[in-house]
Amino acid sequence: MSTDRYRRQTLVKELGQKGQELLATKHAIVIGGGGLGSHSANLLVRMGIGSLDIVDNDTVDITNLHRTSLFTQEDLGKSKAFVLQEKLRAINTEVRVRGINQKVTKENIESLVKNADVIVDGTDSMSLRFIINEVSIKYNIPWVYAGVYETVGMVMGILPKKTPCLQCISQNIPESISGEIPVLGSLPAIIASIQCTETIKLLLGKPLAGLLIYDVWNQCFDTMDIKRNPRCPICGIKKL
Amino acid sequence: MKITVRLFGRYKDITGKDQIKLDISAGNTLRDVVDTFVKQYPVTEKDKSRMMVSKNKMYASFDTTIIEGDEITLSPPVVSGG
Repeated sequence: MSTDRYRRQTLVKELGQKGQELLATKHAIVIGGGGLGSHSANLLVRMGIGSLDIVDNDTVDITNLHRTSLFTQEDLGKSKAFVLQEKLRAINTEVRVRGINQKVTKENIESLVKNADVIVDGTDSMSLRFIINEVSIKYNIPWVYAGVYETVGMVMGILPKKTPCLQCISQNIPESISGEIPVLGSLPAIIASIQCTETIKLLLGKPLAGLLIYDVWNQCFDTMDIKRNPRCPICGIKKL
Repeated sequence: MKITVRLFGRYKDITGKDQIKLDISAGNTLRDVVDTFVKQYPVTEKDKSRMMVSKNKMYASFDTTIIEGDEITLSPPVVSGG
């Protein structure tokens, strides 16, 4: 591991040399390579995760460019997973990066995440998030939810059977919002930064912050301290 | 019944407060809290069916009953974009 590359980061007492070395042993899978996923993958690779898979079956579209920073106009029409693989490898050759051009489904998710130390949510589908949540609890793989809408983003690190899961906080949510989701271009980068930090804390065994809500327009930040639902049908002790 | 509700996210901007007192005149469930809040702040109507409501630090369904003194929070719906 190059010491120069991370020198400024290892000076941070919350991480240190020990934390940096531990981070280099970890494997993350980022599901979704759009506004959130591409930013989170970028940060994790730059900060020195050991290895990273990024999964997306979509191609780069002109509507992605306002809220992403790795894609350019030259990438339009190309596989997001493969473009990100190429760009992330060029950023840090010490990290093993693999782009997977595949749609994540209930059927294939287990084989995709089985070796991961953490699942990073970069999807734009609520139903896929519930699949991630279920597999995370089943195989005891932590994951970090993040979502954006208009000017508001949310992040929550989920440590199976220790912290609330997505189902615990989602009792009043319909399946999904239809149509194109409005997102201010500056929002995903901020939310992905928060998500990446929670991911690293989780990998280093540090306490998580709970549910974080950030409104980039009104510059309003909230942390919600919440408990697990003992009757949660996914992670509860007394399942329904 | 008068209950105190802590607010999160843009609900603080909409109301101009961190917490508000709501007079729940009919019913005793979290749905009644949401109905009263939306009636008082109609701009939140579009969130109504998806609002995140917690009772005593635990997210709960709209049918959950409440009593005076419960710690209630209201926050905007979980966001789903990527």
